[in-house]
Amino acid sequence: MADKNLRFLVIDDFATMRRIVRNLLQDLGFKNVEEAEDGQDALTKLRASRFDFVISDWNMPNLDGLQLLTEMRKDDSLKAIPVLMVTAEAKKENIIAAAQAGANGYVVKPFTAATLEEKLNKIFEKLGW
Amino acid sequence: MNTTQNQQSADNFKEIFSRIGQLTRLLRDSVANLGLDRAIMDVAEAIPDTRDRLNYVVGKTSQAADRALTCVEIARPLQDSLSEESTALKARWDAWFEAPVELSQARELVNDTRAFLDNTPKIASQTNEQLMEIMMAQDFQDLTGQVIQNMMKLIENVEHELIQVLVENMPGMMQLSVSDEPAENLKNGPQINQSVAGVVATQDQVDDLLETLGF
Repeated sequence: MADKNLRFLVIDDFATMRRIVRNLLQDLGFKNVEEAEDGQDALTKLRASRFDFVISDWNMPNLDGLQLLTEMRKDDSLKAIPVLMVTAEAKKENIIAAAQAGANGYVVKPFTAATLEEKLNKIFEKLGW
Repeated sequence: MNTTQNQQSADNFKEIFSRIGQLTRLLRDSVANLGLDRAIMDVAEAIPDTRDRLNYVVGKTSQAADRALTCVEIARPLQDSLSEESTALKARWDAWFEAPVELSQARELVNDTRAFLDNTPKIASQTNEQLMEIMMAQDFQDLTGQVIQNMMKLIENVEHELIQVLVENMPGMMQLSVSDEPAENLKNGPQINQSVAGVVATQDQVDDLLETLGF
């Protein structure tokens, strides 16, 4: 069972989706949820304070989700943070590219509360959290 | 006299037809020279795609509205029943406090109250489920928003192309450089048509693909 105090960063350029994910996380007992509106904003926040888990959209202005993931994996202080992609991008190339860039999971939109929970738990399990 | 006149008008017609033919060719050539044919083709190609996208937006928004309304229709009677039952119990308790009767006679009231208290969390959680569903129904905004943003980009491109054609063909005007942005084939937004090759239609297919990649 993962620690309920885990700090999440939810990144999506659509505020509605950020709120949905935040509410779903709260429903699962995770109350420490911060939001960022694109990859650039996320990198700034990730470098300013400690986060345990990243949930990111792909298609965003400034710095997209794949670029963010790539930047995180290059950065010694961020590379260990698990990243779950939650995106409408649904081409095989997308999933392969995300996997190769080091994503820990991939949820395609629209998704259900159960799917998000299942994918989170799968990542927690693999990490032994 | 008459035959000469007929001959003349027939010649006139011939000449008119051939002039129209020449003009048509001239027009078509000018269109091609101006580069308008490319722009027109782009517009023509964009229209069916735009129609599909708009249909997707219409479908998604109406689905979301439907989902939310269904939840409201389920949740409101639940709330009504809680309110009605508690009002009725309150009235009975008020009556009991006014004129207390023996416990044996009040037992029914106590039992009813316990049953109500037992039932309340269940009803509350059913209502909560509906609220959750209403929240999930709002995911349409992200999906339709992306599709509309893509459409706006497309319209902007067509507009640029048409302006470029005008600029290129206006003497003495500065050449604007409208660089064709490289296609970002990894950023397509929601898939309108999920039966296209290379598109994963469900989360299960995503999971299967990830599994083959060692996830």
